[in-house]
Amino acid sequence: MSDDRSTPWSGYSPAQAWDEAMDVHGDVREPYQRVYSEIDRMSGDDLYSKAEALASSYLAQGVTFDHAGEERPFPLDIVPRVVGADEWDVIAPGIAQRVRTLEAFLADVYGSQHCVTDGVVPRRLIASSQYFYRAVHGVDPANGVRVHVSGIDLVRDQHSIWRVLEDNVRVPSGVSYVLSNRRAMSQMYPDMFGAMGVRPVLEYSQRLRSALAKAAPEGVDDPTIVVLTPGVFNSAYYEHSLLARTMGVQLVEGRDLETLNGRVYMRTTAGRRRVDVIYRRVDDDYLDPVQFRPDSALGAPGIVQAARLGNVTIANAIGNGVADDKLIYTYMPDLTRYYLGEEPILPIVDTWRLEEKEAREEVLDRLNELVVKPVDGSGGKGVVIGTKASKEELEATRKQILEDPRGWIAQPVIQLSTVPTLTETGLEPRHVDLRPFAINDGDDVWVLPGGLTRVALQKGQLIVNSSQGGGSKDTWVLGGVRHRGTVVPPPESKVELEGVASVPQDAHPEDWAHGQQQQQQQQQRDAGEVSGS
Amino acid sequence: MSTLRIEHRTRFTYGSEIVSSYNEARLTPAWLPRQRVLDSKVEIEPSTWRTTYRDYWETDVVAFEVLQPHAALTVVGTSIVEVSPLRAREERVSWGDIQGPRFQDLLCEYLGNTPTTEPTEELAAFAEDAAGRLSPDLTARSICDMLHERIAYVPGATSVHTPATDAWEKKSGVCQDLAHLAIGALRHVGIPARYVSGYLHPKRDAEIGESVAGESHAWVEWWTGDWHGFDPTNDREVSDHHVIVGRGREYRDVPPLTGVVAGETTGLDVRVTVTQTA
Repeated sequence: MSDDRSTPWSGYSPAQAWDEAMDVHGDVREPYQRVYSEIDRMSGDDLYSKAEALASSYLAQGVTFDHAGEERPFPLDIVPRVVGADEWDVIAPGIAQRVRTLEAFLADVYGSQHCVTDGVVPRRLIASSQYFYRAVHGVDPANGVRVHVSGIDLVRDQHSIWRVLEDNVRVPSGVSYVLSNRRAMSQMYPDMFGAMGVRPVLEYSQRLRSALAKAAPEGVDDPTIVVLTPGVFNSAYYEHSLLARTMGVQLVEGRDLETLNGRVYMRTTAGRRRVDVIYRRVDDDYLDPVQFRPDSALGAPGIVQAARLGNVTIANAIGNGVADDKLIYTYMPDLTRYYLGEEPILPIVDTWRLEEKEAREEVLDRLNELVVKPVDGSGGKGVVIGTKASKEELEATRKQILEDPRGWIAQPVIQLSTVPTLTETGLEPRHVDLRPFAINDGDDVWVLPGGLTRVALQKGQLIVNSSQGGGSKDTWVLGGVRHRGTVVPPPESKVELEGVASVPQDAHPEDWAHGQQQQQQQQQRDAGEVSGS
Repeated sequence: MSTLRIEHRTRFTYGSEIVSSYNEARLTPAWLPRQRVLDSKVEIEPSTWRTTYRDYWETDVVAFEVLQPHAALTVVGTSIVEVSPLRAREERVSWGDIQGPRFQDLLCEYLGNTPTTEPTEELAAFAEDAAGRLSPDLTARSICDMLHERIAYVPGATSVHTPATDAWEKKSGVCQDLAHLAIGALRHVGIPARYVSGYLHPKRDAEIGESVAGESHAWVEWWTGDWHGFDPTNDREVSDHHVIVGRGREYRDVPPLTGVVAGETTGLDVRVTVTQTA
């Protein structure tokens, strides 16, 4: 490193956060050795032209993210994030344990609520959650699974400790970026994957398909699975179509489905076909106008009743949001002990519940040094970082907290770990988080090795969500099969993911017309309108 | 004790032929210590498929589909129910007990106001004043008495979706409004309160066998150690003339008929007939 040759690493130096590639003495950490030397062999110009090649290959795939209503490319950084096998051996079981806890909690919430009678969680907390859906009380999923897919967000703090930041068990998105990132990166660094033993990710779709098949209603041997999308105008449509294609199942919209005799069917050119499992990417409120929003045409009337009768499986289950509420988050360590009899493997971030008077007073005193978050938000929406907020913003936050203490939590500012990232001024440390994806098939919770690493592209920016204008990195988990010498396995770009290259234009010829006139004529009827004495 | 036969008939007519409709009917009286359901059925014409389930609020629901062309839909709920008069309860609880953390948590669903039940400032002030002077039961009673005096019962004055505040400003409403207003005021002072959907035999001294026009009715129950039913519309205790179908936080939790129909409803006719048979 001390040679006089200038490399992309010249001048790279970690700031006060934990840098995952380099320690404070400038020594490269073990997992990054190979990546370091690969980049070290290049000139700065080489690296930039590689980044450009990556960007254009990535753009060609059509990967974008909806930011403030505008489709933007979701930049993929040229430097991968590397996670050592020993770290992953803690993270993966930690995520799996988390998912098992969330499953147990949801089964309890929509069943007999022992956690309330045993005094673990206040009843008020469940009853006041806007995501506690009473309409699915007593709906028992076929193989007991409600959290078929989850995205458990992790951060690594300044002491290198991995912590859970939030759980996403409603309709977690982002896995398509993981698949696309890998495809693009394996073209950039064809030799490194085998040589480093990077664990593959592209089996995700087959894992998901198999988990969905296992969740099918009882007695259905060869289930028909569909992916239900709100349509082409949804910001995650790319992901919906990608998953449907790579699983080899139909991509449908609400208008393609109908319920008949308490069963769900899809309309096909060959007539009605029974649907057994719906991997839905439509929010709860829009799934069934009989139960929820009467004006929604994105789901199908009667779907909830079909699920109640065990005639169809909805994945993820309706009502999961009660478990990823940020107030429930504060009870998760207790819930792990209560349901599993285990100590939590991954700690959470210390959190104040603002409903509690003492906590509230302390937080209001220290607003300028804490992070305040809405309990039902995701994607960094509504988050106020005290150290960066203006006086007016802090005052507005104080008012909001006092008006609705149930609606807010506070946490200390966490210095998220950094990873070298290519910027206009060369490689610099940038803050990252990680969303690993887990699939629960009822027997096992499988954690996709890696996950979506989101990177805050602006210097010092701590919110890394894609919805806040961040970018992403390919996440390499080590510990897979290593290949040395001439035996090079096919890079992942060549495997499985046929047809990923672009957003399909021909999924539904009528897509465009349909979007404009989506609302079928529906009317909620209410006999009580004129009744009553 | 009385035995009541209730027939609740609803007929929808449509502007054009409807080919699909999905609905839920909450017309089946609940099995309770105070009432035995001797017989109950829900008839739907036309209907292509139906099923039943018990919902979160423990109300029996008939879910049904009509997937054939039809220009009208008739739903008739018929029940025979034996209702016992309520026994006066001995055990009462004080303000301290009700407002303690245990009951406040267990009964939290019946303590939070919604946009429908939220009381006006004036109503809230009345409730606070009563609570400052009286026991929980007497506070509840005085709220209901006041509402009965102040709000005129005017059929059609409001719809089931009218927030309580509107009825208060208009000084008129129907039984749902009286119930929502009472619930809002009770919850405001920390008394758990719930909405009851059911039927009332309107004649106090009904002849056996005489069929009278009744109504789908609503009243309240408040919790002061036990649930206590009271009918603010008629300003009287719930008697063996009241039949309970379901209970919830507000009307929205126990609507008699809801559904989604692809088309326009042009006519709606609701008739409730009550007969005391014993």
